[in-house]
Amino acid sequence: MIKEMRKVQIIGPKGTLDECIKTLHATSVVHIETAAPDSFLHRLPIEKERLLEKESLERSRETLRNLLFLLKTPPAVRTAHVEGAQLAGRIESVGPVVERVKVIRAELDALTEELSAVNRYEKLIIGFAPVVSSLGGLKNFEIAGLTLEKGRTGVLELLAGEIDRITEGRFELHTTDIDEATLGVVVAYARTYDAQIRYLLTGKSINEIRLPDDYADLSFLSALKLMRVRKDELPRLMREYDKELERVSNEWYGVVKGMLVAIDDAIDEIGVLNYAVQTGFTFVIEGWIPADLLVALHERFAGQYSGAVLVRELPITPKEAHRVPVCIVNPKPLRPFEVFLGALPLPRYGSVDPTPYVAVFFPIFFGLMVGDVGYGVVILAIGLLLRRRFRLKEKLRDIATVLAISSVSAIIFGVLFGEFFGDLGMRLGLMHPLVIHRAEALKTMMGITLVIGAGHVMLGVIIGAANQFKRRHIGHACAKLAYLAAIVSFLVVICAVLGAAPKGVVVPGVVSLVISVAVLSALEGALGPIEMIKAVGNILSYVRIMAVGTASVVMANVANRIGGLSENIFVGILIGGAIHALNILLSLVSPVIQSMRLQYVEFFSKFFEAGGIRYAPFRKR
Amino acid sequence: MDKALISMAAAIAIAIPAIATAWAQSKIGSAGAGALAEKPELSGTIIILVAIPETIVLLGLVVAYLILS
Repeated sequence: MIKEMRKVQIIGPKGTLDECIKTLHATSVVHIETAAPDSFLHRLPIEKERLLEKESLERSRETLRNLLFLLKTPPAVRTAHVEGAQLAGRIESVGPVVERVKVIRAELDALTEELSAVNRYEKLIIGFAPVVSSLGGLKNFEIAGLTLEKGRTGVLELLAGEIDRITEGRFELHTTDIDEATLGVVVAYARTYDAQIRYLLTGKSINEIRLPDDYADLSFLSALKLMRVRKDELPRLMREYDKELERVSNEWYGVVKGMLVAIDDAIDEIGVLNYAVQTGFTFVIEGWIPADLLVALHERFAGQYSGAVLVRELPITPKEAHRVPVCIVNPKPLRPFEVFLGALPLPRYGSVDPTPYVAVFFPIFFGLMVGDVGYGVVILAIGLLLRRRFRLKEKLRDIATVLAISSVSAIIFGVLFGEFFGDLGMRLGLMHPLVIHRAEALKTMMGITLVIGAGHVMLGVIIGAANQFKRRHIGHACAKLAYLAAIVSFLVVICAVLGAAPKGVVVPGVVSLVISVAVLSALEGALGPIEMIKAVGNILSYVRIMAVGTASVVMANVANRIGGLSENIFVGILIGGAIHALNILLSLVSPVIQSMRLQYVEFFSKFFEAGGIRYAPFRKR
Repeated sequence: MDKALISMAAAIAIAIPAIATAWAQSKIGSAGAGALAEKPELSGTIIILVAIPETIVLLGLVVAYLILS
């Protein structure tokens, strides 16, 4: 239901402006709008101090958002309540925390990187360990590590020969398997030949092992030894930093979130100044409020400012009608169905909120299409499960609730059609059709759906006409009534031609049809008769309820039949169950989309007027 | 022979609208996917647009049924 709105003007001495903005923020009911300046009212200049305050708050917000990004999200976050007055002190106190968290994160990053580097050298460390230990006692010797591809071991002999020539035999060469494809080579040689050996090792097909940057200043031997020690040490250090980060996060995460909320609120309060206007001594703020909350707003301001601040109701001029914000509030059981409105633009103020009608017809159409006790129970269980799973996610929870409600309708229609997992209930002698056997009475089902379609479409036209009358748009209202008369006349003539009504009504029906179409053309122009043809198409479109429903029941019967063909009962149940599961999955998708479409295209098009502005009161975050 | 021809006529009455619906939905679907990439908030409108051509096949179904009955 779209709530009635009132336009309000708040006028007070300039000295109370900040206080009044805080009061408006606390009441959280006024949708503030820019007040139009005129010869008496001028734009309110925003003081330099307020702009600086806003800039400072925005900087703090950036810092806190970065801090939140660096902190770990605790398992249970409770946003702390931070008063606006405490904000400055709190922002100051958070400075050392930001620094400490940055240090912790930097240390953790460095340790992670080092561990990753050490892990990359792990194979080399393990492979070279015995060789390096045996060379540990050598003095005045340099050690170089190389890796060679195993398939090119000829290079090793050439290398050994060349080193022998350079060092005149004063070297040791050890090899070890690093992995399946790589051979590790350690060369120990007299330090005096270092330059020539290094030059030699830069040659092709020889990969001298490059140490990580942190170990670059160390000798190969020392680096490998240190890496072995660090490999054991690094995880422990990382755990310690991680624990500290967790402790800081647990202490500050909720507080930082609370501070961000308080900062956003403070920035919003400064932002409201842009909407206000002033005279020499007073300020003026204008906005919209639901009619039923106006008295409470009056009382709040009268009580708090002892009459110094005035809350005045302004008349809504026709020019402003399109600017009135739309506040939709429905009774709690209907609220989940508001989810269907989310896919459409907001209805215009003064038009009709279709939620209550959707809450009635969506489950009926869904039930008519699924119409199976067994399927209904399964969908009900799925709906309740999803509702519990997504209890904190409003939109998904609403969809699950709609599904659960619609499944009850499917169970009721299942009883009427005598269906339990298709014809399984009938085969077992548990059920029989109380009203109609869907799979066999296609003609009857088609007739029922067409009657439902005619009723639904006509209801849409009646709602549209009533709304136009309510808004005193008499021309549009009469056009809707002519449209309704044309539909009824057409249906009467068709029924008479098909033998469903007495032949005597054909002539009056045709006369009524011609008159109503003529009136419609006069009121709405050439589009009127086209609308009439569209309405016939709209009614025929409801045959989809029969088509989708028949497809569902036939597939369920096929599942039972194929399951029954197996000689082994367990295999039969498995095959039948798999086909039923697929059919239930399709029942979750197809009837939902088809039912939605019938609401959106066939029903809403008769009265829904899009283009509303969402009611967004100035409220605390 | 008559029965076969009637059945054939009913099959054609539903087959051609079904192909037409599929063709229309393929065009609307691909354009809708493009629009969704730009504006995800249009999802409701796109679903409606994709579902609109289904009326064609439903009319085919009604005609097929009338031919058979």
